[in-house]
Parts: sequence; C-alpha cells; structure tokens
Amino acid sequence: MKKQLKKLGLSLCLLASLGLVAGCSNSNNSGNNDQQSNNEGENKTITVGILQFANHPSLDNCREGFIAGLAENGFVEGENLTLKYDNALSDTGNTGLIANQYVSGNVDLICAIATPAAQAAFNAAETKEIPVVYTAISDPIAANLADETGVSGKNVTGTSDQLPLEKQVAMIRELLPEAKTIGILYSTSEDNSISQIEQLKEIVPQYGFTLETVGVNAQADVPMAVDNLLAKVDCINNLTDNTVVSALGIIIEKANEKKIPVFGSEEEQLKSGCVASESIDYVALGKKTGEMAAKVLNGADITTMPYETISDFEEVINETALDLLGITKPESMTSARVVNTETKEDKEAAE
Amino acid sequence: MEAVLSIIIGILEQGFIYGVMALGVYITYRILDFPDLSVDGTFPLGAAVTAMLLTKGTNPYLALLAAIAAGALAGLCTGIIHVKFKVKDLLSGIITMTALYTINLRITGRSNLAFFNENTIFNSGIALWIPQSCRIVVIAILLAIVVKLVMDWYLHTKSGFLLSACGDNKTLVTSLAKDFGKVKIVGLILANALAALSGAILCQQQRFFEISMGTGAIITGLGSVIIGMNIFKHMTFIQGTTAALVGAVVYKGCTALAIALGLPTTDMKLITAVLFLAVLVINSREKGDKRA
Amino acid sequence: MLKLEDINKTYNIGTVNEAKLFADFNLTIEQGDFISVIGSNGSGKTTMLNIICGSLAIDSGRLLSNGNDISRLKEFQRAKFMGRVYQHPDMGTCPSMTILQNMALADNKGKLFGLTMGVNKKRIDFYREELSRLKLGLEDKLEVKVGSLSGGQRQAMALLMSTMTPLEYLILDEHTAALDPKTSEIIMALTDEIVREKQLTTIMVTHNLRHAAEYGNRLLMMHEGQVIMDKKGQQKTETKVDELLDIFNSISVECGN
Repeated sequence: MKKQLKKLGLSLCLLASLGLVAGCSNSNNSGNNDQQSNNEGENKTITVGILQFANHPSLDNCREGFIAGLAENGFVEGENLTLKYDNALSDTGNTGLIANQYVSGNVDLICAIATPAAQAAFNAAETKEIPVVYTAISDPIAANLADETGVSGKNVTGTSDQLPLEKQVAMIRELLPEAKTIGILYSTSEDNSISQIEQLKEIVPQYGFTLETVGVNAQADVPMAVDNLLAKVDCINNLTDNTVVSALGIIIEKANEKKIPVFGSEEEQLKSGCVASESIDYVALGKKTGEMAAKVLNGADITTMPYETISDFEEVINETALDLLGITKPESMTSARVVNTETKEDKEAAE
Repeated sequence: MEAVLSIIIGILEQGFIYGVMALGVYITYRILDFPDLSVDGTFPLGAAVTAMLLTKGTNPYLALLAAIAAGALAGLCTGIIHVKFKVKDLLSGIITMTALYTINLRITGRSNLAFFNENTIFNSGIALWIPQSCRIVVIAILLAIVVKLVMDWYLHTKSGFLLSACGDNKTLVTSLAKDFGKVKIVGLILANALAALSGAILCQQQRFFEISMGTGAIITGLGSVIIGMNIFKHMTFIQGTTAALVGAVVYKGCTALAIALGLPTTDMKLITAVLFLAVLVINSREKGDKRA
Repeated sequence: MLKLEDINKTYNIGTVNEAKLFADFNLTIEQGDFISVIGSNGSGKTTMLNIICGSLAIDSGRLLSNGNDISRLKEFQRAKFMGRVYQHPDMGTCPSMTILQNMALADNKGKLFGLTMGVNKKRIDFYREELSRLKLGLEDKLEVKVGSLSGGQRQAMALLMSTMTPLEYLILDEHTAALDPKTSEIIMALTDEIVREKQLTTIMVTHNLRHAAEYGNRLLMMHEGQVIMDKKGQQKTETKVDELLDIFNSISVECGN
C-alpha cells in the first residue's frame, strides 16, 4: 500500500513537471498550428465554446438565440460547427477552469453569457487571441470590456442587454394614469440594478412619478422588503436583478393581495404574473450575438467591432394579470403581444 | 496532446493559487481544529483589496501585502469574537463572513470590478522574464512554494511550536503559562491572511473581482486539506503543508476532469459532497480498525 | 509557602443540585512540603487542586503564595510558578510533536514564544541527559513522535517536562492512576527523586494508600470538603498502610456505603 502511494505521488509530481516543460516548449508552435487551420479553409468544422455564468431563463434564451443566429449565418451545429456548452453555476472558480479548457482546446470562438463569464473568457483567451463574443452584459464599459466608444481594441466584443428604461416608464404612465410612486426592489450587490436605478431617477420625474427604492442583501430579505415597499407605492417596477427576480413569486403574491401591479423587465417575468413589460427579447439579443460571432468567424476584425444593443423592444402585456387587478387595457396597447401568467397546467403542458 | 498539457497547466495554476488558501485552512482545520468559515469572506476580501488598489495603479506586489494585512485583520476579528466574546467557533466564523460581504462591497464600491489594463504580478515586473505561455503557472507555483516554506519555517519556531501544541493539547499550552486564547487568535490571523493572499493572487490572475468569488471557498480549502492528508496518510515524512498544496492541485484537477468529461456542472456540488463523505468515512473506518 | 484562607466553593448554585463542597476551608502548605492527599471520591481533593491551579473559580476566600494574593490570577498566569502532572498521560505532552520538540517546548516555559527556532541545538545534549534519567531509552528516540509512545513513557515525559523550569509548586493529580503497577512504581520513584533534587513544594493526590504512606513528609486525608487527618514528620513516617485503610473504611461505613 505504502509503495503504491509513493508511486502515485511520484508519478503525479512527474506528470506535473512534464506538463510544465512540455507546455512551455510547445507553445511556440501553437501560433503556427492556428494559421494552418485557418488556411485549410471552409470545409473544416468550427468549434465554439459557450460559457454561461449561471442558470437563468433569460441567459438560456440568449444561448438559444446565439445558436440560432450562428445557424442563420451559415454555421450549423452538426454540419460545420461543433458546440461545447458549460454552465459555471455562479462559481468564478469554475468559470476560470472552463474558460481555460476552451482556450486549451483551441476553440475558434468563445461565446460568454453574463459579465463574469465574459471577463474570465477574455482573461484566458487574450494571449492566444481567441475571439470572445459576449452577451447579456448590461454595461460592457463598466465591466472593463470596452472603452467609451464601445470598442475594446482587443479580441472581445458582444451585445449588451441595457433595458429600455424610458419606454418602460412611459408605458407605466399609460397603463396607470393616476399613479404617483414607482417602487423598486433591488439587491445591493448587483451593479446593474444600482446603475439602472440611477438612470431611473433621471427619467421618472419627466413622467410625473417619484421613485421609492428598497435594497435587499439576500433572497431571504425579499418578503419583508416587499411589505415595506408596498405600503408606500402605487406600483412596483422590476429590474433584471437576479436575486429579486428569483423571488418574484412572493413579490407578485403580496402585491396582488394589495391590488398593486408589478411591472416586469422581460417576457419571462410576465409568465410569473407581472402586468406588462417593455421588454428585451433575449432570444433576439442572442441572435444578434450569433450574427456578430459569424462575422468574426468569417474574418471580420473583432478588435474594431463595437458592442451592440438591440433597438427594437417589444411591448408585452399580461391580460390575466390586468383582469385580476381590474386595469383596463388602453387602446394604444391593443397591438402589444399578449403573454399570460403561466398556470400549473401550462407548465406541465410545456414540459 | 498540447491541449491536454495546457489543461494541466490550467489546473496547476488554479491548484497552486487555491493551495495558498489550503495552507491557511490547514492551520485552522488541521492544527487548531477550528472550523473557520470566515475564509469564505476573507478570500474575496483579499481579492477586493487587490482589485481596488490595482485600479488605483498600486504596485501589484504591494497590493498582495495589503491583502495579507486585510485578511489578518479579519482573522483577528474572528479570533476576538470567539476568544473574548466566547462565541462558538463556527458562529464566530459566520459572523465575520457575513460582515465581510458588506465590507467587500464597500471596498470595491461594486459587485464586479475588472482591471484588464492594469499591471498585475502576472504581466509586469519579473513576470516578463518568463515565457508568456507558462508565466502564470510559474509565478503561481513560486508564490505557493514561498508561502509553504515560510510556513514550514514558522511552524518550527517557538511560536509555531506553541501553535501546534494548541491544536494538540490545549492543557499543555496553559501549563506552559501561555494564554490558549491568544495562541488561537494568532492561528486565525495567519490562516485568514493566507486566504486573503490566495484571493488576491486569483484576482490578479483573472483580472476581475466578483463578489460571489468566495462562495464555497472553505469547501475547496477543506477538500484540499482532506484530500492531501489522505494521499500522504502513510507517508509520515511528507509535511502537512506539502500535503495541503498537493491536495489543492488534486482537488482542482478533479473539478477540471469533471468539466472535461462533460459531467453537468449542475451535479458537481452533489458529487463533491458525496466524494467528501466517502473519503471521510473511509478515513474514520481505518482509524477504527487501528484502535480495535 | 502556599496558604488557602477561608475558601468557599459551592457547585450548581441556585439549582436543585446545589452542593456545598468547601465551607471556610483553610490549609497551609509549608515551603518544601511533600504532601500526599488521600480521600474517597467526592471528598474534594481534586477540587482543591483545581482551586490551587486556578482551573476552578472560588466563591470567596484567598490564596496566598509567599504572602501574595494569587486568587485573581488566571490558570495560565499561575502556571508560571506551578507545574502540574495530570492523571491522563495525554494531558502533559503533545502527541503530534517529536520528543525533542516537546522537550524544547517545556524548556521555553515562562519565556517568550517568538520567532526564533523552536529547538535550540545547544540544548539537545541537556535534553538527552534529562531523558536518560528516565531509563526508558527515550534519549535515543528524539525524533519519534510522542503520540507513538506508551502511556508510561508519556507520563514520565510529562513529569520531566513540567519540572524542567524553576517552580514553586508541583501539583500531582493522581499521576500514576492510569498506569500499570510496575510503571506506576517507576514513575513514583522518579517523582520522589525529582522532588528531592529540586526541593519542590509538592502536593500529590493519590488513590494509592501505599504511595501516600511511603512518599512525602506530610499526609492529608480529606472527607466531605474537610481535612480529617493531617500527619507531619515523625507522625507521618510511623503511619502504616493498614492504619490508613482502617480509617478509610470507617469513613465509608459512616457514609453508609
């Protein structure tokens, strides 16, 4: 037993040192290999690694859209495209390891979904100049992935999911002509929420609203924070705040009891019972990302590509929720797409 | 083949960076027998301090020292809460960890702070003498080994002897006319300084700080120490510090293997938990056999 | 000289299990005394040691060492001038450290535990010499971990370690009780040798009536928190084991055992 273990230990050390030496000496060749593969031309399969930071319906939609976007532009999985997909489950250690594996495997492009994934992927891929295309980042400039002009100058670009906040506020005014105060629940640890609130503070007075915000530290704080907020506001507007969104069920339940409408920031939230949303279509955002990735794979210079946002937002409205709260749908919104609250039966049917 | 090698390099990078934290956990868990959860807060604390200082243009090595100091201070807090206020060990760690969450946010001012354009220990100064492809791994290993050697030296000083005695037999510490509580505090200071240093190194490697970085740090640390101890169980000539470092590399290797094999990351925590339990059960059984 | 003055100690104050152990307890231990303390379980002998060492707080009263009040000193502070050997051999040594490291630890008692090397190489010969007195061959096993030694070996080391630095008082808490008869004789002989050589004021609690009669210059028998027998000098030397046993039995009968 002892001897075996000694051998194991020794071989581990050997392996490690071998890896080191070989890794260092091999690296000089790697550049050449890359060039070769590029020269071989178009019938070679392209490998794309998708690194998603966390489990979240919107992020899943991004991924779906991304794959569709690639396909629309000639990169079809199974035909000329191999896809790798990994979810880091919100663990930055995993994020780094996955990014490293993609880079080690010499993927042709990395698609990174959400901020930490993009940062880790860029960090791992920078020296090898593997292109990184990100999506679902609210503020790429703050994430240090682009300069003020939207260009990174490096091997990274992508799409941002900045919310159409002004349109959202305008829509709330249309649905609730009498309302005075908009309430917002946010988690103190999410930069996106904080910057969105800063923007909203500028916007709401123009529509005759005041803003009331309550911060939470964890999902467990949400119920008490909602009670606190509901006492002071005429409606609640939901951001893309992960902590708050994951507790959306309880927020809507408590708000419905008091007949206070809750507005969402994306379509998925309407399925949980939000009233309406000027929403980002994450599938469309993903598609746009896929398009950009295709351009890069076809030889466009990623270093000069600015990050993009989507300009067409879609009004979605939840009729069951409107009925429940006794709000009549204004005529201007008759064209809005209807997404109703998902009942248990709907969910089962979907599965 | 090249891909495998560079995956191995990636594992060594992470293994040795987290290994520095494992050395800290070795002090609390193995020497002091103190389940110190503050590590979950001090690991990102080190990262937060580093990120904040680097964005202000501080020398990256100075940033590491600052992280060490911050971690030491946090360890002192856990120690005082436990020893002076007589709060249970597990709880005092939780209190510090919880407080640090806010403090970390305050230090960086935000939950995510990247600094891709700043100098780090991996892309400036002496790092430039090392070929780029193995810069990170070489520096990570060097740092880990320096920390290990310093710790080996410390454990052989009088103060280190007392620390070892503290985990072994606290009655003896009292008999030696020393305040057991104070020795414990020293241990916590050291352990958390190392955890913060580890977080700082990782932060400089990945070039961004993220508030959730510390989640599960203690599990990685404990896992590394336990795995290391079990690998070298029958080799008494291997030092505990070496075992902790190797354990961290093996731990990260297992994680990387799981990802490479395509095991869903969703299942990873459960797999980790089951593996942990298995190792501990086998361990305690063997101990039982010896006694019988 | 150690003086216990009007010591009161009650366990579980305010509960149904309230038990007064010491009521105005007084005892004076002279310089150079080697006292054997015997008594049945619950007679208060171990409690008395704990009070002297400071591991148990007293309700009221004073402890005077050479006239200085030490009642408020914490256990580790009193350890500066007291050495204690426990019943269990594990208590006096560090199992995961080597014999040499253990000796070095004990050697540094009362001094600063700083960042100088734990083992002072110049002292190794001295440690060997000390260890060779135990006649257990430990002087040739300096690098062996103490955890792998037998109970007797560890207890011998514990005794050596606790008396290595200058002491006022040596407290022996049934320190031979967990050992086999032969080892217990060896340890007892060694204790006597060290106490004589270093002229230590010693308090030894023991269950072994023969040890109590044979060793030391003073004999105390305790019962229900009181000293019921105190023999010194000539009187003590004349005391026989049988005599002690008779008294012991008579107390037990009184208690209805």
